[in-house]
Amino acid sequence: MNPSKVSKTPVGEAGRRLRSWLGIASLWSLALSAAEVPSADSHWAFQPVVRPAIPVAKISAGAANPVDAFIQARLSESGLTPSSEADRGTLIRRLYLVMLGVPPTPEEVSAFLADLQPRAWERWLDRVLEDPRYGERWGRHWLDVIRFAESNGFETNRERLSAWRFRDYVIDAFNTDKPYDRFIREQIAGDALGVDVATGFLVGGPVDIVKSPDITLTAQQRADEIDDMLGTTGTSFLGLTLGCARCHTHKFDPITHTEYYSMAAIFSGVQHGERPLPSSPEQAASLAQIEDRIRDLEKRLDVFIPKAVPSSPTARKVLRPAVNSVRNEDRFAETEARFLRFTILASSGGEPCIDELEAGSGNLNVALASAGTKATASGSLAGYEIHKLEHLNDGRTGNARSWISSEAGKGWVQLEFPKAVRIDRVVWGRDREGNFKDRLTTQYRIELATEPGVWKTVASSEDRTPFAGESTKPAGPEYRFDGIADSEAAQGRRWLAELESARKQKGELAKSPTVYSGTFSQPGPTHRLHRGDPLLKRETVSPGTLALFQPLVLSTNAPERDRRLALADWIARSDNPLTARVIVNRVWQHQFGVGLVNTPNDFGKNGSKPSHPELLDWLASDLIEHGWSLKHLQRRILSSATWRQSGLPRPQALAVDAGSRLLWRFPPRRIEAEGIRDSILAVSGNLDRARGGPSFYLHEVDRENVYHYHPKEAFGPADTRRMVYAFKVRMEQDGIFGAFDCPDGSLVMPRRSVSTTPLQALNLFNSRFILDQSRTFADRLRREAGDQPESQVRAAWQLAFNRSPQPTEANEAMAFVRTEGLQAFCRGVLNANEFLFIP
Amino acid sequence: MSAPIPPAFQSPLLNRRRFLGDTGLGLGSIALTHLLGRQGLLAENADRREPLRPRIEPGHPYGARQSHFPPRAKNVLVIFCSGACSQLDTFDYKPELIRRHGQPMPGTEKLITFQGEQGALNKSPWEFRPRGQSGKMISDLLPHLGDLVDEMCFIHSMQGKTNTHGPGENYMSTGYTLDGFPSMGAWMTYALGSDDQSLPAYVAIPDSRGKPQNSVNNWAPGFLPAAFQGTEFNATNPIRNLARPGGVAASSDSATRSFLQRLNERHAERFPGDTELAARIASYELAARMQLTVPEVANLSSEPEHILRLYGADEGGTKIKDTRTAYARNCILARRLIEKGVRFVQLFNGAYQTGGEGVSNWDGHKDIANQYAVHGPVLDKPTAGLLIDLRQRGLLEDTLVVWCTEFGRMPTFQKGAKGRDHNPAGFTCWMAGAGVKKGFSHGATDEFGYKSIENVVTVHDFHATILHLLGLDHERLTYYHNGLERRLTDVHGEVVQAVLA
Repeated sequence: MNPSKVSKTPVGEAGRRLRSWLGIASLWSLALSAAEVPSADSHWAFQPVVRPAIPVAKISAGAANPVDAFIQARLSESGLTPSSEADRGTLIRRLYLVMLGVPPTPEEVSAFLADLQPRAWERWLDRVLEDPRYGERWGRHWLDVIRFAESNGFETNRERLSAWRFRDYVIDAFNTDKPYDRFIREQIAGDALGVDVATGFLVGGPVDIVKSPDITLTAQQRADEIDDMLGTTGTSFLGLTLGCARCHTHKFDPITHTEYYSMAAIFSGVQHGERPLPSSPEQAASLAQIEDRIRDLEKRLDVFIPKAVPSSPTARKVLRPAVNSVRNEDRFAETEARFLRFTILASSGGEPCIDELEAGSGNLNVALASAGTKATASGSLAGYEIHKLEHLNDGRTGNARSWISSEAGKGWVQLEFPKAVRIDRVVWGRDREGNFKDRLTTQYRIELATEPGVWKTVASSEDRTPFAGESTKPAGPEYRFDGIADSEAAQGRRWLAELESARKQKGELAKSPTVYSGTFSQPGPTHRLHRGDPLLKRETVSPGTLALFQPLVLSTNAPERDRRLALADWIARSDNPLTARVIVNRVWQHQFGVGLVNTPNDFGKNGSKPSHPELLDWLASDLIEHGWSLKHLQRRILSSATWRQSGLPRPQALAVDAGSRLLWRFPPRRIEAEGIRDSILAVSGNLDRARGGPSFYLHEVDRENVYHYHPKEAFGPADTRRMVYAFKVRMEQDGIFGAFDCPDGSLVMPRRSVSTTPLQALNLFNSRFILDQSRTFADRLRREAGDQPESQVRAAWQLAFNRSPQPTEANEAMAFVRTEGLQAFCRGVLNANEFLFIP
Repeated sequence: MSAPIPPAFQSPLLNRRRFLGDTGLGLGSIALTHLLGRQGLLAENADRREPLRPRIEPGHPYGARQSHFPPRAKNVLVIFCSGACSQLDTFDYKPELIRRHGQPMPGTEKLITFQGEQGALNKSPWEFRPRGQSGKMISDLLPHLGDLVDEMCFIHSMQGKTNTHGPGENYMSTGYTLDGFPSMGAWMTYALGSDDQSLPAYVAIPDSRGKPQNSVNNWAPGFLPAAFQGTEFNATNPIRNLARPGGVAASSDSATRSFLQRLNERHAERFPGDTELAARIASYELAARMQLTVPEVANLSSEPEHILRLYGADEGGTKIKDTRTAYARNCILARRLIEKGVRFVQLFNGAYQTGGEGVSNWDGHKDIANQYAVHGPVLDKPTAGLLIDLRQRGLLEDTLVVWCTEFGRMPTFQKGAKGRDHNPAGFTCWMAGAGVKKGFSHGATDEFGYKSIENVVTVHDFHATILHLLGLDHERLTYYHNGLERRLTDVHGEVVQAVLA
């Protein structure tokens, strides 16, 4: 169908925003010409960041921190004064909840209260910033901003099982204080910077994998994907709503319709999907180290490999292991030979197959054709490119490079070495890649000769355990410690144990992990799309950035990766007016609940103005001067008196500034969904502190064509890690905490709403999770505080509220514990406002 | 903590950034705004074109709010047939399709739709006949609904913009094909709150067979505060965590509630005047009321025999009858919720969890005669019963009933199959009740029922019309998110004046 022919308003993305919400259709119905592009001249956020002077004159006595100077100067303009410092118990609770997302333990509270040394606060800030829970908490904030989730969204909503690596990357970036400019560059072009996982940012958004057969709609789907990448890049790093320029020149900001497509050209070679991760230098080094260790151990263990005793099987008490399809090794006394014959006497079925026949002394394989050894055979199965005699000693293993005898259950192969060689072992297998287990040689004889025809048997299957089907034991030489002195055998066993663990480690290291971080290919030309309609292609557009600031234009055929790298560098430039301001504002927002600019994803003309423009610029330039260290920024804010103010309301101040935006107090607020769940688990003693790795599930998953996620009712021990490690599903929320304004990653979420609903109350009061946690919290209180309600109540207050109860509180609580029991008491405490609010 | 005020809880004036920006007093005026808001001085917004955001009391997100202008309807009941219900086998009568049965559709021989190539034009396996006073032609698939054509206002010229179910459901339910946008019900609840403070303002009733293709996205809050999401339950499955937990005695439960209340009150004493703390306390009170009222409203045992019979909820024993009874019970539940004043009820017919393509939904690709022979009877009598019951109780005076589906189906059969492929180019929806014409048909598809050609109604127009009937200007009902004043209708939509009574 061609929708534009039949609809009266163009459908598809065509004509999206033809008329603005303002309703002044006529004014905006056509793309603006270049002359009409909103100007960047005067808008504050597009001006260079210039470090403003600290308003020293206006600070009240005691404002030691530049942050305080700016805040207090603004307060005094409004006739307000800051609040006094919060009590230390409140401070440490606030610090933990804001920075780590869980309350401090009573021990941590006591240690802090007892720390009256100079610079105690600074030391605790360091401690908190070094705590890995910092990255878990603040990484989650960033994941909101960039709409990260681990399922595709749309109707099939399938899982992205390797996307967690990107989540771990973000957490690590915060914990290691990765310079923010570096963090930006890696997320846009990490593949060029040796950090492949980081481009998970580009493809973190939803994607419709059900491609429409209608090319119009398919083109639309692709345009939507690019719009998601471009839009997310614009809002998250620049605080610019680039997406608005998709159909026409931006109505408020200096972003032309053409510039949108210049930016789109940067992302046009990025596709959704997984990519194998190259091993890091560290990985490669540890792999080499492990391999050395394995070789060394194998050498030491060599003496424990039983030699073949073909002539007198009864001489050996214990038979050698049965043959297996992957790899068999026959050891014997070193013997000189020009010829080797491997005679097959029986197979597990059909014509026997050997993928590679090796012979030699030590690790040297003298059987290779490349070393001049010639192979002959009784007969080879005809007609198969993958099964040929020349594959027998070509140094390549696996079924696709193997030899098969022309006769069922028998046959022979013979090697003629270029000169006499000394041999003490023969190694052979059916399929060393482990895919095929049929056609296995089960009975055989190995003979050597120095002269043609004068054969001497050196090994055979006679002293092996008869083959009785494939065993599950790992292939490789089997070491034997019987008939050896005890001390030597003990040593051997230790080496073997070490070898096994080293091999396992090697297996883990050698696995090539994949990550959902997109794939890249050189794109064709990008066109401007009239009204954003993929059917209305206009002129070709070069990849480039906005004219807003130091514009960058690449050639139309610029290599794909160079495009992203150029954009990344452009965004991360220290003289980009937006980048530092935008991240400073995000950090401020998560410290105080509201940013200095309360439209964190829109620093354009339609966004709101900063409440403290000089402070924002001062912090932005301070951030850049300190190597884009976010921990430095955190320290600046946290060490201010502003942050340490009491959160208690003062009527006079409320009357002037009810929203506390001028920060005459620390604005208290409810913690987010993740913080609530984590805090409950922490207090009940059930929080699993394991970090990183594959996600745990808050849902049961029906993996049909269309995936369905059913919120779990009951949670096991594997489900008690921090919620940032929960598999992030699009469209389906967690059954309990989803109701607490938890975004699902379908859209970017620069700032969560904080709503209060009866469903939240029902979930927190009645769910099985809460009942379970109340019970274990009660168990913990009994265990740690004994049987007396008084000590139980005290302990609960310390754990949940980080303070001692007032006498009346304690009395009421004890009375409640006596009549209703400890679990009911814990259920109440976990639902209390005081528990859920950052004080 | 009157501090971080989520956008939705701010007053409209507060968000008029231009005003704040121009005064240069951004912050100083916030307190003033609060005062103005409390005194109710905000409604007189003379500028027609400015966004008019509802002002929401933090403690009472569901408090009833004024519409922009006098509404024609107070409540909305949406009946959503998941899977794309064919217009050609139900409400869109096309004599030419019958006449040209078995011939190729002219001009579309090479048409490739969702699943592949098209076969010949195929008339419906069901006969159409004139029904009601209006003589509207309706298929025999839906005889009971056919009885009610004089109540209905058909829109035969609907048009979507995607031919896949997930985006199609999103489009119909949220106005966007992408995920993450607020549902229609969330917008209305955000705008209007509710008259009843002991039930959720917005209830989604999934089919007893499971959820629709795009699941909770159909009743999601998107970027609106979670308070405005649809609360999901049906006559079979109650609200999650509604009931007092097993093993907790009623007395202990209520004692714990009182204990919690004391904890919270004592805490709130330290933060006098804090609305968010008060809101949380209030939310536990509303939750407690819901624990009483929701089971009461969901308990159908008081419904008399004749009502069960009216809805077809009195029969079982075969698979169709069991399914019909389960749907009929959901219909009764929907009526009970509307009766109680729930603002927005979204009732689903069809599901994906328990059977894909055409099995438990309207996605009749393979064999429409046999597949719809199940879905028709399941939908027909209970939905008709619901309309009759609403009418006889006078509820249609204030309630707008909207029947919809994500898109339509092809007049051709798929090549090699006996079913119809997806078709967003033309489909039928209907409305009934408050504010719309009775026994009326608007718009038309072409001679075969393929494309809407006359008075085309986009989904945005459809939404704009529904908002209009509730007294809401779709261009002014906005929410600021991520740099934009978002609307249910994006930047599109025109009220379909022709259908208004």
